[in-house]
Amino acid sequence: MEEQRESSKDGVVSPSIAVAATAAGQPPPSSLSRLPVEDQPSSIPKRRQELLKWNGWGYKDSKFILNKNGHVEFTGERYRLSGHVMPHLREWMSKTVGIDLDQKTPAQPELTAADIPLPNINDAFVEELKRSGISYSDDPTDRLFRAHGHTLHEVFVLREGRFARIPDLVVWPGCHKDVEEVVKLAGKHNVVIIPFGGGTSVTGALECPSHEKRMIISLDTSQMARILWLDEKNLTACCECGIIGQDLERRLTEKGYCTGHEPDSIEFSSLGGWVATRASGMKKNIYGNIEDLVVHIKMVTPRGTLEKSCLVPRISSGPDLHHVIMGSEGTLGVVTEVTIKVRPLPEVCKYGSIVFPNFESGVSCLQEVARQRVAPASIRLMDNEQFQFGHALKPEVGSFLASFVEGLKKLYITKIKGFDLTKISVATLLFEGSKEEVSAREKKVYEIASKFGGIPGGEENGQRGYMLTYVIAYLRDLGFEYFIVAESFETSAPWDRVLDLCRNTKDRIIRECKERGVQFPPYATCRVTQTYDAGACVYFYFGFNYRGVANPVELYEEIERCAREEILASGGSISHHHGIGKIRKQWLQRTVSEPGFGLLQAVKQYLDPQNIFGNGNLMIPDSKL
Amino acid sequence: MDGSGASAVPVNGKARTSSPCPPQSSGELRANPVTSASWINPDQPRDVSTLASYKDSYQDILNERRQDWDFVFMTRTRKDVPKYKHHVPRSPEDIKQHVLNSDRVKYTVERLHGEKKTSKAELLKQAEAILDEMAHALSMKSVRGFAFFLIKVFKQLFQRVYVNEEGVQMLRKMMHEYPVLLMPTHRSYMDFLLLSYVCYHYDLPLPAIAAAMDFKGMKFFGWLLRHCGAFYIRRSFGTDWLYWAVFTEYVQTQLRNGDAPLEFFVEGTRSRTNKSYIPKTGMLAASLESYFKAELPDTMMIPVTISYDRIVEESLYAYELLGIPKPKESTSALLKARSVLSDDYGCVHVFIGDPISIRQFSNGKIDRVLHSLEPRYINSVNKDEMKLINDLAFHIVRQQQRHLVISPWSLMAAILMQNREGIPVRQLVKEADWLKRQAYNLGAYVDWPGDLSTDDIIRRNLLLHKNVLTVSDDDMIELKLVRPGHVNKPIKDDILLNAATNLIVASYRNQVTHLFVRDALVALSVNSCTEETMSMDELFQKYSLLERYLSKDFVFQPGQTKQDFDLAILSLKHSGALVIADNFTHISDIAESKAAPNAAIVQVKKSFNKHTTFYSQMFEPFLLAYWVVCQHLLSIPIDVHGRPLPKRAKDLTKDVQKLAIRLLEENAVKHYEILSLDLINNGILMLMDVGTMYKDKRNNETWLSPNSVAVAAVADELGAYIELPSIPISNFTSSGRSLVMQAKL
Repeated sequence: MEEQRESSKDGVVSPSIAVAATAAGQPPPSSLSRLPVEDQPSSIPKRRQELLKWNGWGYKDSKFILNKNGHVEFTGERYRLSGHVMPHLREWMSKTVGIDLDQKTPAQPELTAADIPLPNINDAFVEELKRSGISYSDDPTDRLFRAHGHTLHEVFVLREGRFARIPDLVVWPGCHKDVEEVVKLAGKHNVVIIPFGGGTSVTGALECPSHEKRMIISLDTSQMARILWLDEKNLTACCECGIIGQDLERRLTEKGYCTGHEPDSIEFSSLGGWVATRASGMKKNIYGNIEDLVVHIKMVTPRGTLEKSCLVPRISSGPDLHHVIMGSEGTLGVVTEVTIKVRPLPEVCKYGSIVFPNFESGVSCLQEVARQRVAPASIRLMDNEQFQFGHALKPEVGSFLASFVEGLKKLYITKIKGFDLTKISVATLLFEGSKEEVSAREKKVYEIASKFGGIPGGEENGQRGYMLTYVIAYLRDLGFEYFIVAESFETSAPWDRVLDLCRNTKDRIIRECKERGVQFPPYATCRVTQTYDAGACVYFYFGFNYRGVANPVELYEEIERCAREEILASGGSISHHHGIGKIRKQWLQRTVSEPGFGLLQAVKQYLDPQNIFGNGNLMIPDSKL
Repeated sequence: MDGSGASAVPVNGKARTSSPCPPQSSGELRANPVTSASWINPDQPRDVSTLASYKDSYQDILNERRQDWDFVFMTRTRKDVPKYKHHVPRSPEDIKQHVLNSDRVKYTVERLHGEKKTSKAELLKQAEAILDEMAHALSMKSVRGFAFFLIKVFKQLFQRVYVNEEGVQMLRKMMHEYPVLLMPTHRSYMDFLLLSYVCYHYDLPLPAIAAAMDFKGMKFFGWLLRHCGAFYIRRSFGTDWLYWAVFTEYVQTQLRNGDAPLEFFVEGTRSRTNKSYIPKTGMLAASLESYFKAELPDTMMIPVTISYDRIVEESLYAYELLGIPKPKESTSALLKARSVLSDDYGCVHVFIGDPISIRQFSNGKIDRVLHSLEPRYINSVNKDEMKLINDLAFHIVRQQQRHLVISPWSLMAAILMQNREGIPVRQLVKEADWLKRQAYNLGAYVDWPGDLSTDDIIRRNLLLHKNVLTVSDDDMIELKLVRPGHVNKPIKDDILLNAATNLIVASYRNQVTHLFVRDALVALSVNSCTEETMSMDELFQKYSLLERYLSKDFVFQPGQTKQDFDLAILSLKHSGALVIADNFTHISDIAESKAAPNAAIVQVKKSFNKHTTFYSQMFEPFLLAYWVVCQHLLSIPIDVHGRPLPKRAKDLTKDVQKLAIRLLEENAVKHYEILSLDLINNGILMLMDVGTMYKDKRNNETWLSPNSVAVAAVADELGAYIELPSIPISNFTSSGRSLVMQAKL
């Protein structure tokens, strides 16, 4: 299905709303075991193109532009940054990646029906589908919108070229039964199904295999977005797979609950997608990752519906089949309904930040926090490059006083504490829980931090830090306009290898760029975004100015491949939560061993011998032409 | 002036002639009018300063020192000293503390505690003792003091010390980006002194130098060297795991943090023979493990080639090779070596080679992911990595060889070794000129000043090496006997004295053997052929066999035999030494012959010429020595098991040498080199390598006995390439193998 792009929203489903809800004084409703939750329209319309950009990230109304004064401004009014001017950003861009504002690479105009290939229609299938009454469309833009995720090369194709293959039909099943029907028909008529949730994949998972001769339908789950029931006794909710993260959290909040699962793509990604990719949420320290959250999954496969017969917290019944479903990336079937754990809304949500003299001491601190198991809901550590970037994103300082305070802060850090601004690293924190819990945790974390030379950096900086992630997603589109290609990728690593891994990977990226003739210094930066007992998740951003380079996307992919090789050599994993998709297939067998790979293929062979779910991801062999 | 020689002409001719003549340097040429070298006076050799201070990208770094105050140089500020970008400043004491508290040492202590029941405190104390013995105490103060002293010594010994400055600039850049391993050739004690001095001169960080224990014993110098960055390692530490752990961590932590560039000699020890030794891989493996385990983004290896016109230890080496024991390293011995200071040792060339990146070198050859499953502090280098390290070590030695500066004297020595009964200067000039051209053709850099006549150059070099030769009144050059300075009782035996002179001259010839060895293997094969023609396949077979026989004495990169062979054929063909006819009779065959180049055949007779003869003869002593080894082995009496009596390798070497002395006494052979213990030992190693020896372990020593049939076969093979003694060998050994023959020596 789709993948999570780590890019936080701020504002839409921020915990501040959650706090507001409880603060509004709604008493928690008396416990009901099957509380119905009324339907609400999804935030993302059925015709996605009405709200979302056709060739970039996010909402049409929100983007970075160069305003009439030549400064970067963020448009719209959805985000905290919306409508603000960032006076330092332009200089930062030209300094770090060599952007020249006179050198533009505008995207091609929006594709029209004439540019989009004719659908390859299997008449018998469509005939039967029509009879079933399930909604479908062969509208060219509907199809194009579901032909891709947000992997660099996909967006680049939208801006500059044409997809070789796009879905031939978009189908919107309305419920589990509809899905069963569609899968049955597809099997009968040998039609390929590619499930589509929020479309935020960054692994090429949504792309149609270009060699596919059969009809391809995109099974869009967006019309299956209901919360079927909320069980306050067992603290679970049964939801349809297509519900978008922000809708799920908002509607649960109205009832006084949350799932606490907040991947950075929460504005756009769907519950089914989270399950299909083994998603990770930023507050996993309290709520857990998706594998900790799901209680029950229904998945429709060509063999029939796969599910367990009970709603239990844990079961010993052989290898856990949930783990076959989670991370299957749409290769085995469609997840239709998920029963997920919910929690009462926390009393307090509080941001924080810590400034470290360097990245190394920051990592040591995070490790100690993990070792003592006192991590707040979220703790993330930015390296110096990202700190600089965050700084460049600061909006105009309104008043004299504000700028004076800024100056004082800087003076304190550099002069009194003796920190080097080109070395410091910043951790952002998010605490959740009861008042006492939060203040006790805060105290503990800051205490540990001080042992590693860290000093508290204030709430405001913490909150800004969480905004940073999501901003990069939008910022990439601005980069595209000025010869910049950029992308992010992640990994997980044992604690003792985190630092070496970060240093080696950055070094490798910079060196490969140099050796491959990139004319400008690349931007390579990383963050530690999750902590575990045994290790951490590390997130890299990498972009470069491709002026003078003939084939930027190919070059980018080659370098990212090198970076991944370096990550693997440094003891890191193939992926922490983005998944394999198509772009990381080459390392899968090496990662899971030959028997492991065979096992995955055997599962595929049994559940889907016809390769109906033929999106070409994960263990599906690249078919010969 | 010869045309091909022009390539060695200094780029900047003007700078040469206008370079000022420093007053000190006039004393450098100590042409003593009463010695046998008095013939040189009429030629009026030019002053040292006529040697260019800058030539072909080489810059003399002594020149400035001859013109300013050494004290100023010693105390000046070092600017922009490059540091590894991830370096965190630490003192030598911090490094020691780190090692003792490292996971690796802790783990080893735990392990040994479990295995040996030694208390942890005791083990830690042992670790600390090892570290105290090992660690350097690099301090700038000592370095400055030492530099002051070194500059005086160098100015005394050498005319010029040339450094390729481009290499220095590159090194400066590299030192900032990645940890650096400096890997110089090792032919003299001067090597590390010179390299450290070069670093001081160019404001580069001083290296930490892996040194052998021998120095540690020297009272003052042991201490001084330690403070100038030397750290001491035992020669072998087998299964002393604690030593391994301390050593590995000590090396790796300095590399990881980039405390100092790490310097070590891949040849393991000073080459006594002046040719590259077969590389050792221990230090390299310990250093590169950090990269294999992804503790470092990369490591840069810098091959450094240090070429001497004349080696300070030349006669010491010769006597050591003959088995006359070397004095233990001591400060007083060093002071005695002061007599050395009164001699002229010509010029030194230091070439800092292109960095070799382990990342690039290992790309696609190893899988670093394999190290993901265990803690990185447990020593483990897998088979692929060991193979890679071995290939790399050979590669590095080959890189060092590529940049050796060939002194005219080396070429002359090669000629003298083939004319030991004497050669007129005029002929030497002619021959040297010819050999120089061959060296150029093989890509060597010959230090052949373009502004001097060949005659001048030859006479200069004769003067520089007047200790081993005499020039008679009628301009005949003869070798003279060298008396060892350090042996108290004089050696009466003329054989040994002759051998010493021969070994000294041979050692300079050895400086060019790496150039010619591949061509020579072809030449030997062709010249030993009794047929009219020879097919390429047959030639390659012979070549491969010879390569195997000579592989302990010369550095052949493993797995490169075919490429080396093809290149040798090509270069011989192009210089007209090898006549090859394509094996076709009809014009239509041309296309086919291109497709199968091995169809070409060598015209043996036409290929019997000056080139092939000269090259063949250059390597004859080596093959003869191996042959003598075989003969001795075949004469060993048979024990009750029907096998020749086993002997220890060192006894075997001595016994072979005895046989060799007898052969020389009887004038049965003429190459004194076969007395070299190094050569004999390599012969034995080779025989072990080709599987003709049985090995036994007794009391931790290896006892060897030959497989007579196999050894006889090797002897026959070798015999085909060389001129054998005219007297039957059995006169010297024993007629039958069952007889015990006691050499009367």
